[in-house]
Amino acid sequence: MTATSTTLPTLGRPLAPWAAYALVGAGALLMLAPFWLMFVFATQSRTEIFSLPPPLWFGNDLLANLAILTERIPFWRNLGWSLYVALMSTALTLLFCSMGGYAFACFEFRFKQPLFAFVLATMLLPSFMNMIPTFMIMDALGWIDQPRALYIPGAASAFGIFLMRQFVLSTVPRELIEAARMDGCSELGIYWRIVLPLLKPALGTLGLITFIASWNNFIGPLIVMRSPENYTLPLALRSLQSPVDTEWGALMTGSAIATLPLLVLFALSSRQLIAGLTAGAVK
Amino acid sequence: MQLGAATATRGPAVPPRTPDAMPQTPHAPTPRRRALLLGAAAALALPGPARATAPVRLTVAAYPAVDTIVREALPAWRERHPGVAVQVVSRQFADHHTAMTTALSTRSHLPDLMALEVGYVGRFAQGGGLDDLRQPPYDIGRIADRWVPYALAQATGRGGAIVAAPSDIGPGTLLVRHDLLTRAGLAEAELTRSWDGYVAAGRQIQARTGAYLLAHARDIKNLLIRTGIQPGEGLYFGAGHEVLVESPRFVRAFELAREVRRHRLDARVAEWSNEWSEGFKRGRLATQLTGAWLAGHLSNWIAPDTRGLWRALPLPEGAQAAWGGSFFAIPRGAPAGHKRLAWELIGLLTLDRAQQLQAFRRHDAFPALRESHDDPFFEEPIPFLGGQPARALWRDAARRISAVAVHKQDAFAGEVIDTELDKVLDRGKPIAVALADAARLLARRARR
Amino acid sequence: MKLPARLRLSPALAPYALLLPFFVLFAVFGLFPLLFSLWLAFQAWEPTDGLAAMRWVGLENFAFALQDEWFWKSLKNTAWLAVASGVPQHLVAIPLAVFIHTRLQRLRDVAVGAYFLPYITSTVAISILFASLFSTDFGAINAVLGGLFGIDAIDWLGRPEHIKPAIAAVVFWRYVGFNVVLYLAALQTIPKDLYEAATMDGASRWQQFVHITLPGLKPVMFFGVTLSVIGGLQLFEEPFILTGGRGGSDQAGMTTAMYLYRMAFDFNDFGAASAMSWLLFALVVGLTWATHRAFRPKAGQA
Repeated sequence: MTATSTTLPTLGRPLAPWAAYALVGAGALLMLAPFWLMFVFATQSRTEIFSLPPPLWFGNDLLANLAILTERIPFWRNLGWSLYVALMSTALTLLFCSMGGYAFACFEFRFKQPLFAFVLATMLLPSFMNMIPTFMIMDALGWIDQPRALYIPGAASAFGIFLMRQFVLSTVPRELIEAARMDGCSELGIYWRIVLPLLKPALGTLGLITFIASWNNFIGPLIVMRSPENYTLPLALRSLQSPVDTEWGALMTGSAIATLPLLVLFALSSRQLIAGLTAGAVK
Repeated sequence: MQLGAATATRGPAVPPRTPDAMPQTPHAPTPRRRALLLGAAAALALPGPARATAPVRLTVAAYPAVDTIVREALPAWRERHPGVAVQVVSRQFADHHTAMTTALSTRSHLPDLMALEVGYVGRFAQGGGLDDLRQPPYDIGRIADRWVPYALAQATGRGGAIVAAPSDIGPGTLLVRHDLLTRAGLAEAELTRSWDGYVAAGRQIQARTGAYLLAHARDIKNLLIRTGIQPGEGLYFGAGHEVLVESPRFVRAFELAREVRRHRLDARVAEWSNEWSEGFKRGRLATQLTGAWLAGHLSNWIAPDTRGLWRALPLPEGAQAAWGGSFFAIPRGAPAGHKRLAWELIGLLTLDRAQQLQAFRRHDAFPALRESHDDPFFEEPIPFLGGQPARALWRDAARRISAVAVHKQDAFAGEVIDTELDKVLDRGKPIAVALADAARLLARRARR
Repeated sequence: MKLPARLRLSPALAPYALLLPFFVLFAVFGLFPLLFSLWLAFQAWEPTDGLAAMRWVGLENFAFALQDEWFWKSLKNTAWLAVASGVPQHLVAIPLAVFIHTRLQRLRDVAVGAYFLPYITSTVAISILFASLFSTDFGAINAVLGGLFGIDAIDWLGRPEHIKPAIAAVVFWRYVGFNVVLYLAALQTIPKDLYEAATMDGASRWQQFVHITLPGLKPVMFFGVTLSVIGGLQLFEEPFILTGGRGGSDQAGMTTAMYLYRMAFDFNDFGAASAMSWLLFALVVGLTWATHRAFRPKAGQA
């Protein structure tokens, strides 16, 4: 019986499980090392960041960097906008994509296959090619420099609908839906009260991914935003980058702070995720 | 002659293409619709006082550090135009030019004033999106000689239209570590007399001090391809789209770069990388061919501890080149009522001696305005350069720079040449073959 | 909330109602850019001249793209990077997810968190961090390689043969955690009684993995692999930030998506850029369809 040690933790081979834990642990450290570096750099001045060997422990420039950061850009305001846009984006995307994914997974209707293929197809074009036409649409709608231009279009996420469809396919039993229908439940009621609760893990995953994508997105805001007070964080932080004179320390501090809400969100949602998953797994 | 401050993480400098018969742009759909709506509204509205009482707000789009320079000029602006607010919209260097391209392409949401870097101004000049400043009410022709001539030439597009006013320039210089020269037993003149002399000096520096002559062999190539350009010619393309990369100046550039590499005189580090800045800190790089502004950066944060050890020299063999430079332009589609005020703001930023010198003092933005060049500041000793009054040297260098015609494919050509040079240096590809390959690639695109 | 029967959605209309919000948004914000880009592929256009400056050139842009050395170079780079970064992600994510699922009950959150964190890093941070890590003389990566394996300092970002593995490594670092989370969530949905029954029948762990776990993961694997294929072919951010937007020496790190971007915004040739994006699109469609065929569900499954 040959197997990778991850699937064969028998007592007869004390080396195998040890090796697995060590490997996974080393991998985790590798994943985290750049993060560590980011937080270290956030506390260093740019002279130190650019020196070799680079600093590996914290420095004393955090407050100085923070001062430069808040002086150059309306950092906290931009943070607020990022938060608002990400939350709205997540809410709308979850709603629209779960509805659509459910429709694609559990119903038969005309044009189902071509429509789905079409939706998938839109994932295949690089988004920056959309810059100019998107700008034209936003301009025509009067949405330039408005946050809604950032979260409304993204709610039609091909990725989201794809993810939802796959999860519905693998988690929601048809019989349940049929039974509910026979019980007299309305179609929208089925969606809201039966399917949606079963999708909690997928909603958690998609919600997290959508939030992160919205949070880190800079092309959208670049196209649409005109006033620095309305920028979201990535655009605001990038505007600190000069061809030759970037305040790298402040930039790293800003990036590190920008990462914190995502860390918090992930910590929170993974717990939710687990709770949802455990509940869902018990049939 | 332009060498954009092209670096690892900055936007590349992209000069424009040659003139093509492009029609003038009529109204794009949105402005027309807006005009209709406005017209209808005006027709319905009661006749009232003109816009005199409405507060005017100018929008300036810029990138660091030009954005700071504009903001620092605002107190002076407020004295002259107390009722006119100015909002500065900052974006990262490449983002800014992308946003400006987008806005110009749709003629919508344009700023009243647009900062442009030298690498982009040529390209934008070839398009029809910026106001020709020779026309009234600007009449830039009357005051054109107040700026350094080559800077204005860089902002000249097809048909001679001048689309932007120069704000700062980047005269090229040779920064050298004086102490390393002394240890190697060399006089400064030996570096600047000729390019061969420069390379020979490099060998001596290497032998006696162990330091590299320069960061990368392509630096010397970049300078040498700019020598001996005939009038009307561009860097890579001629006036009739012919490809010039097999001409003698390219051959010589490649040969000298190969010579530098053969004797291991270059550190093979990329500009703005950690190794590059560390090379300065540790004295492993003896010289750098660069724009004058690098001295300020070395002094401020790259290698502050090497204060006093550097000197600025003219480029070898009398070469002249420019690195960087900023301009201000007025988009054609900007609100008409703001244009006169925008022009006044440009005047403040580019024609006001005090503002130009202030930007120079605070940000190393070398003034394009000639009448600021007689300020005593130019004669002041620079401590980082061991007390040398280098600004006078750079001022004289700026006067001798001549502009080079730009072609739309210049950025692409630059990369092709860099790639071929890498193959010559790293893999021993014969120079003639490399240049022929490059010419082949460029010929296909010359007319796009 | 029970609506009277005649106001309720019938099962026949329900899917259309459910899909309506999505498709309205898509029609407005997805379709127009698509059509614009298609139109643009047949034009020659200098963007700063304004919209009316487009000039019809028929298939010239496509012909140019197909004969362009750099386009083919970028396709080769893209293929290499897609495979080199995508395959390890799944090969590592599946066993890792199984390991976390079965062996790391208490530390599950921590482990998943550690692997997922790279996904949330912004590109700005990544560019600075990895420029430092990959630094030739004193980067941490070379330090480890030199210290542990005695390898000479490698010029990761400067030499064409090294920039590709560097980019693949960063992409792997960034996305392996995403796949771990995906597979972990899917593992939760495989009923435990299947494993219990199998154990009682005497099946080994490996047999259970092959015959219960893998088939159970199939829909999610299809999803994950499709995403990796699409993502790999559209690789843009990581090569862009590691090569400073240029593609590196000999354009070794220039993917097709990055070349498109450069054609549009650096070389101002929007027509050719659009044509190339549609050629890339055709390629991605083809490969996605192939993936779909490979994962084609057997009769009886969804």
